[in-house]
Amino acid sequence: MRELEAVLIAFREGTHCEAAVWAQSENQTKPTSIGRSSSAAEMPDVFPEEVGELASARDGSMTVTRLLGQRPVWLALGPCEPEHRLDPRHVKLLLPVVAQFMRSSLEVEHAAMELAERYEEINLLYTIGEILGRTVTLEDATTTILTEISETVGARHASILVHEPETNELRAVAALGIPASEIRPIPVDDPISVSARVFRTQHPVIIVGKEEITGKESPYGRGEMLSVPIMWTTPGGGEPLGVVNLADRRSRQRYTAGDMKLVTAIATQIGTAIQNSRLVSSSLEQQRLLQELSLAHDLQMKLLPSTDLVAPEAQVTARVIPAESVGGDFYQLFRLGEQGIGVMIGDVSGHGYRAALIMALAMSASAIHAQNSAGPAQMLTALLGSLREELETTEMFISVFYAEVDAPRGKLTYANTGHPHAFVVRDDGTVIRLSAESPPLGMTETAPSALSVDWKKGSDLLVLFTDGISDARNAADERLGEEAVLKVIAAHRALPTADIVEEVFTMLGGHITNVRIRDDLTLVILRS
Amino acid sequence: MSFSIKKQGEVVVVDVEGQLIVGNRQELKQKVLDELEKGEKKFLIDFSQTGYIDSSGLGVLVSLSKKIREQGGELRLANLNDDLQTLFELTKLDTLFQISDTRERALESF
Repeated sequence: MRELEAVLIAFREGTHCEAAVWAQSENQTKPTSIGRSSSAAEMPDVFPEEVGELASARDGSMTVTRLLGQRPVWLALGPCEPEHRLDPRHVKLLLPVVAQFMRSSLEVEHAAMELAERYEEINLLYTIGEILGRTVTLEDATTTILTEISETVGARHASILVHEPETNELRAVAALGIPASEIRPIPVDDPISVSARVFRTQHPVIIVGKEEITGKESPYGRGEMLSVPIMWTTPGGGEPLGVVNLADRRSRQRYTAGDMKLVTAIATQIGTAIQNSRLVSSSLEQQRLLQELSLAHDLQMKLLPSTDLVAPEAQVTARVIPAESVGGDFYQLFRLGEQGIGVMIGDVSGHGYRAALIMALAMSASAIHAQNSAGPAQMLTALLGSLREELETTEMFISVFYAEVDAPRGKLTYANTGHPHAFVVRDDGTVIRLSAESPPLGMTETAPSALSVDWKKGSDLLVLFTDGISDARNAADERLGEEAVLKVIAAHRALPTADIVEEVFTMLGGHITNVRIRDDLTLVILRS
Repeated sequence: MSFSIKKQGEVVVVDVEGQLIVGNRQELKQKVLDELEKGEKKFLIDFSQTGYIDSSGLGVLVSLSKKIREQGGELRLANLNDDLQTLFELTKLDTLFQISDTRERALESF
């Protein structure tokens, strides 16, 4: 206040009377001087309440008057040097000068406070930016952010609630000044809860008065609360993710529109943090799942036998393409000594893990039963015995075709439980269907029966495929159909089996183009 | 894809619109089991609006048929299109269900 003092000193020099300005701030019990002409300017013993009143103080040696304005400020004149008296004209001269000065200085002070507040807010935004940049977990980020906001707006009780879609509740991820045990989850449709209302309406509110804060929010206490929705803004609009609650302000002042604006801005940042953390965790989870699936796919493919197993007696080509990374289709080949070669194709209903498990079980069980059974019917009966419990508990079933090709004796014996596409293609192009005699394993207790057909060594083809191939859809949603597959095979029947399979998949690729396959595709062709 | 359920006389008739596949089979199953729970015994599933049934859809039909039989009830099917009819024949599923050409004939057969 050096400028003020310069004026007061000039006044003393001109009038030989002391002058001082006294002010009292809220937390002081008595006024203090904010400018004096000299140390001889004593503190008056009277400070009039009325503005404009000229009060006499210190036995008439001083005159004190209160200045116009919200703040209590007084101009005190006197005492004067001996031989000098205070002239009312001098008072009249000095009063407006000091009053003007005080007004200006008050404005400057307000501006400075405003600036300091803005500075704090900007600082807060910077801090939050940093927090979001470096913290990994959502809990860390929200707790730190909540501490920072509470510091800035002076809230003693605060929380961040996040919406859980599974339970449709708002659940606290961070809290300050409230024991965690007292913050209970709030159903979004809670009719009383302020947080639930703010979440539903997506509009911030300032609650004044204790009566409105009841129920699940009563732990916030003290009748003042600022509740702001946490929004995640998308190009298509906004989506609420949770709520920030601030209550029990340290200064006892009310929350202002400015506070609301600040917290809304920060809530957007929190929204981004929540969304980011969700995306990160779901992408990590997805990555893990993909890795596991690809591992399961590799395992499943390794279970399928090499077609070399039955060479040179039989020439076999097999191809399995799962619709998902793990599927329910499979084939199996066995050397049976005297009886020739065993060939199996199967399709477990459904896809994914459970189907893959049953497929693996069927693969291993059939390997044992094929060696110990007298013919295909007994083999499938034994296989059902091994799978029955698993099929019953999972409500799955399995269509299986199993044939024993005895080329030297010119005979193919087979049993078919619900497998739709099994054929012998003769060297003249004739196609013979090897029909199912009973429904898929797991659907009934009917024992499979076996049939046999003639087999011409070295020229007949055993053709097995799953409905994934005949049901494959093109862009117009038309099925490929069994006939189209058989036609291609019959046309290329003289080629090595590998080439025939290639022809079928080329034709299939031309049909489905870029349509995603929805079922596993399996084709096995054998010549023996 | 949806299922509508209505009662015709003593028979609960379910219309399957679209497909019966892995994605919606549980919904069909639950709806039918709810009716079974209420004490209904006679069920007819009408496939005249159905284009495709995948293997897990077939699985649900078999499992429903078993559950209904266990309660002393009966499940019948009607209006399979040519593709579905072939599918049932090729997989021998036609031996597990009583299948009628039309809804009327199916209703009469109970």
